[in-house]
Amino acid sequence: MNDYVKYGSMNEGDNFLDPPPAFDVTENVVNKYIASTNDSTLELTGLNATGKRIAPPMLAAVYVIDALRTRVGPPGGIHAKQQFKFHRPAVIGETLFTSAVVLKMYERKGRNYVEMTTETKNQHGELITSGMITRIWGKES
Amino acid sequence: MSNTESLQHYNGLSVGDKLPEVIQAIDQTMIDAYADASGDINPLHIDPEFAKTTFFGRTIAHGLLTLAFVSRVLSKWNWNGWAYGGELNVAFLGPVYPGDTVRVSGEIEALEQRDDGVYARCQLVCHCADKAVVKGHAICKI
Repeated sequence: MNDYVKYGSMNEGDNFLDPPPAFDVTENVVNKYIASTNDSTLELTGLNATGKRIAPPMLAAVYVIDALRTRVGPPGGIHAKQQFKFHRPAVIGETLFTSAVVLKMYERKGRNYVEMTTETKNQHGELITSGMITRIWGKES
Repeated sequence: MSNTESLQHYNGLSVGDKLPEVIQAIDQTMIDAYADASGDINPLHIDPEFAKTTFFGRTIAHGLLTLAFVSRVLSKWNWNGWAYGGELNVAFLGPVYPGDTVRVSGEIEALEQRDDGVYARCQLVCHCADKAVVKGHAICKI
């Protein structure tokens, strides 16, 4: 199979995810994430001021990567750096949309790097998380 | 224009204070559970036979699983500052293997008065034994 995104097909400034994929924050998603990360944070067991159950901030690692996985590079790619800014935690019942823009592409020590900014908003356009991911692109066959 | 001022102490916190540590043992069951929860089923993480053919020689944990432990540290230390406006900036330095124990530690390296309040910049590092596998910093309002 060879339907991965080729390094040479990207350009700085490209919208990498167009349209932004949707991710539903469900009770099941949050429970599985909390259980798998052994997170006993007290604030995750109650409801917020509007009566909604909140998700761990780092659930961003799931919904952002889930969106980026809709357009993958060749096997062997490595996640080198990650930045997140958590504007507020997502809550159960929200649908999140993550967009990504290719910020910078460069070669270092024979390896191709891609930096992308990401922005996740809910179905009402409220900003939930922004970030930047640096990936070493896998070698193309 | 924003103004910032460095502080040494604020509200009972001081530069050099340690954050509560998290120590987490990693096994293949935990990696498989994270793969299921996150949908990241890259065989490098969950298929020992495939992983043998890679540079690593065996399965490795998702890097973002390690960040979940970093988030546990910051949530425990300063939930509101972390969940509402917190920033994280890390580099992945090395793999975490099943059987490893990850130790997440942090320290306040700066306190900064900004226009809208005081922020702590915390240095963070995740070790497996003596090897640093994740390094970076977080910034949260305190």
